[in-house]
Amino acid sequence: MKTIKINGEDHSLDVPGNVPLLWVLRDFLELTGTKYSCGIGVCGACTVLIDGKPVRSCSRSLDSLSNNNVVTIEGLGEEERLHELQKAWIENDVPQCGYCQSGQIMSALALLSVNADPSDADINQAMAGNLCRCGTYLRIRKAIKQAASMLRNTKNDISIKTIGNKGHKSLLP
Amino acid sequence: MPNFFIRISPDNTITFLCARSEMGQGTSTGLAMIAADELGVDMDQIEIEFSTGSSERYGNMQDTGGSNGIRMQWPALRKAIATTRELLILAACNKWEVLPKDCYCEKGIVNHRLSEKKAAFGELLEIASTLAAPKDVKLKEPCEFKYIGKSIIGPKTKLAATGRTNYSLNLKFEDMLYAAIERCPVWGGRLVSFNDDKARRVPGVIEVVQVKPLEEQPDDYKGGVRHGVAVLASNTWAAFEGKKALEIQWDGGANAKKSDEDIKRELIQDSLSNNDISLEIDEANRVFKKGDDFFSAYYSSPFQANACMEPLNATAYHRGHKIEIWAGTQSPSITRDRISELMGLPPAAITVNNLPSGGGFGRRFFTDYVEEAVVLSNHFRKPVKVTWTREDTLATSKNHPYWVDNWEASLDNKGVPIAFKYKGAIAGPSGFTPFPYGIPTTFYRPLGYRYPRLLPRASWRSVAAHPWGLSLESFIDELAHRARIDPLEFRIGLLKNADVVEQVFEPWVGDDLYPDKLGNTLEIAAEKANWGVGKERGIYQGVSSISYNTSYCTQIVDLSIVGEDILKIHKVTAVVDCGLVINPSQATAQVEGSIVWGLTALLKNPITVRNGRVQQRNFDTYELLKMAEVPEIEVYFVDNENAPTGIGELAVPGLAPAVLNAVYAATGKRIRDLPLKQPKIV
Repeated sequence: MKTIKINGEDHSLDVPGNVPLLWVLRDFLELTGTKYSCGIGVCGACTVLIDGKPVRSCSRSLDSLSNNNVVTIEGLGEEERLHELQKAWIENDVPQCGYCQSGQIMSALALLSVNADPSDADINQAMAGNLCRCGTYLRIRKAIKQAASMLRNTKNDISIKTIGNKGHKSLLP
Repeated sequence: MPNFFIRISPDNTITFLCARSEMGQGTSTGLAMIAADELGVDMDQIEIEFSTGSSERYGNMQDTGGSNGIRMQWPALRKAIATTRELLILAACNKWEVLPKDCYCEKGIVNHRLSEKKAAFGELLEIASTLAAPKDVKLKEPCEFKYIGKSIIGPKTKLAATGRTNYSLNLKFEDMLYAAIERCPVWGGRLVSFNDDKARRVPGVIEVVQVKPLEEQPDDYKGGVRHGVAVLASNTWAAFEGKKALEIQWDGGANAKKSDEDIKRELIQDSLSNNDISLEIDEANRVFKKGDDFFSAYYSSPFQANACMEPLNATAYHRGHKIEIWAGTQSPSITRDRISELMGLPPAAITVNNLPSGGGFGRRFFTDYVEEAVVLSNHFRKPVKVTWTREDTLATSKNHPYWVDNWEASLDNKGVPIAFKYKGAIAGPSGFTPFPYGIPTTFYRPLGYRYPRLLPRASWRSVAAHPWGLSLESFIDELAHRARIDPLEFRIGLLKNADVVEQVFEPWVGDDLYPDKLGNTLEIAAEKANWGVGKERGIYQGVSSISYNTSYCTQIVDLSIVGEDILKIHKVTAVVDCGLVINPSQATAQVEGSIVWGLTALLKNPITVRNGRVQQRNFDTYELLKMAEVPEIEVYFVDNENAPTGIGELAVPGLAPAVLNAVYAATGKRIRDLPLKQPKIV
C-alpha cells in the first residue's frame, strides 16, 4: 500500500512501485485528464505539477513520490469554477482535438506561477516541451498572455489552489 | 416521426445527434449551430451526442473525410431539422386551433404571435407523433440566423479546457483486458516464432496470444491488420511492459531489403517513362507539339505519418451474437460494415460508438486498429482495449505515400504555357478535379509504386492534394520566372480565360471549380499581404493558389534572409473562399492548423525506411513543429452567402509551394524535394 496526495486528497494504492504516475492516474485512479502520448517525456501531454513544478508524469514512477503534492488538470477547475487559464483557453477557442491541452495548461500554470507577465520568448521557452499536432500554438500563447493579465488585474494569489477530485465525473458508460 | 439528427424528450431535453466525427476540426459545433438555428433553440439548450455507425440512416454522410462534413450535411441537415420544426408548429396549431403562419419557434418553444400561447417542444410530442411530416418546408433565411456566421464556442472547447473530453483511450470496463500488440515491423512480413516467458512474468500480464490478419493478403487501404503478438494485462502499463519483454522472430518477406530511396528511384523512373494515359484530350496532344519552347520538372514528397496526439486505440466487446465497439473513428459506418463482413454477423448486431478523437487527419478512416480489438475480444469474449504505443503509431502504422509528380509544359514564344502533361498523384477523371488553369492537359495514370507496397497507405491531411499542390504551384512559379512575369499576375492571367471545371464524381457533383473564385482570392491576397512591395525592407514573397475539394485558397509567405543560407519566415497570409463561413473562429483555426501541418511536413524529418523498417521511433525522431517556429498567420475569408464548402485541409497543399517560391525569390534556389534542408529556415 502506498499513499500519494493528488489535488489535495490522499489516495491509497496497491500498485507496483515502478508504474509511472501517468498510468497510476489514468488506469488506477480514473483521473483521465492527464494524457498518454509519447511515454518518453518529449511531448508534454502528460504534464502535471509536482510541488508546483511541471513534471512529465510518464517519466516519474510511483516509487519516486513520497510526501509530494501532485496537481492534475482535474484539480485546477471545473465548469462552474474555472481557473483563469481555462477561461482564457475557452475565450480564445484554443483546443482543436484537445488531447494535448491538459498538458499545455499545466505547463502554462507552472510558467505563470513564476512569471506573472511572460513575454512571447518566455512563453515559447516554457512551452517548448509541449507538442500540438493540430497547430493551436498561436492561440495558446495568446491565451497565456490573457490569463496572465486577468490574474494580475484581479491580484489573485496565483499559487495553486486545488479543488480536489470532486469535479471529476466518471466518463464511463 | 423519427429524425436521425435530433431527439426531443418530453422534459424538453434536446439532443443533437452529430452524424459526423469530431477530431478537433469543430464539426460538432458547426453542425449543432446549423441545427439550433434551423430548429429555433439556443446552443446552451442542446446536448451533443455522436451517432453510432449507420449507413442505413446517414448514407455516405457519416464517414468523415475530404473536408466534406459541413458541405455534405448543409442541405440535408437543414431540411430534416426544418421538417421537425414545422411538425412541432403543426402540433401546436392543432392544439390551439391557430394558423402555422402565426407561429414561430424560439428557445425550444413554439410561440403564437397573436396571443400569449406558448408550448415547449416536449409538450407537443404526443400530438406531433400523430401528424404526417410536412413536405417542402421552408428553410431559414440568412437574416434569421442567430448562430451561423458567429464565433460560437462549442461544448468541445469547454470539455477540452477542463480535461474532460471522453476519448476512447479513457474507457474502462469491469473485467476489461488491456492489450498491446507487437506487430511485424515490415509490411507484408510474418511471424516465425515467439517466446513469451519474460512477458508473462511482468506483474499484471494475464495472457499472450498471436494475432493473425483475417485476410491473407490484406489490402493496404481496407483492413491491414499486421501479424503480431498481443499481450493482455490488467492495465495499460503492464501490457506495454509485457510487449517489450517479448522475444519474436519475424520473416520480413519481400520488403525486408527495401528502403524509401528505392521507392523514390522507382517513382522517378516511372515519371520519366511513357506511362498509360488516363485522360487524353485531343487538343492537349495536338497543341503540345506546336510549342516554341518546352520545360519539365518533377517534385517529390516523402512518406509521412499522421501522428495523432491520441495514439490509435479501440475497445471492443464481442459477446458472440453481438459486438459493441468504442472508438474514435472517422468511419463509423464503414467500420460497422467491415466488422460485419469479417465476423459474419449482420450489421444490426454491431454497434459502433463513435467517440471524439485526439486527432484523426485521415488515419482514423482506416479500420485496422478496430479490427484488432474485435479479433482479441472474440478470442476472450471480454471487453478488450487495444492501445498503440507512440512507437507503434510510427513504426507499424499506415502512411502518406511517397510521391513524385512530373509536369511538362509546352510554351509559346512569350513563355506562356499552351499545353501541359502531368504524371503524378492525381489521375484526371477521379475524385475532385482540381486543375484550375484552363490549359489543355494530358493526364497520365497516377504513379503507383511497384508491389508489394513498402508501407501501407493511409489518408493524411489533404491526401494527394499535397504533392499535387507542391508540384503544380511550384511549376507555375517556375514558368512565371522563366517568362519574366510576376508569379501572382501570371496566375491571374492564366485563370482569366479558364472554363469552369465540371465535377463529375460523387460527392462533388454540383460543386464545380470556378477559376474566377480562385483568381479573386489571389487579388485579395495581393492587397492584404502587400504583394511585391517588401523588397526594400528585405522581405521576399512566394505565392500559391489552390482549389481543393470545392474551396479556394491563396497563400502568400513573407520571409527574409537572416544569415548565410538561413531564412526566417515572418508571416503567412491566407485568403479563403469556402462559401458561407459557419463559425469564423473554428474555420480560422483550421487554416492555422493546416499551415502548421504544412510547415511540419516541409521542415521536419519525414518517415524514412531502411530494410523495410520505419526508422522514426517517437517524437524525438519524428519531430513536430514547436510554438517558437510558428510564424504570424493572417486569415481572411471572402465574404459570401454561397453554400458552405470545406475548410479542414484546404490550406495544407499550398503551404509548401508558397514557402519554396519565396525561397526562390530570396535565394534563386529552386527546391523541388521535401523536406527542405537547405537553406535552413528558422
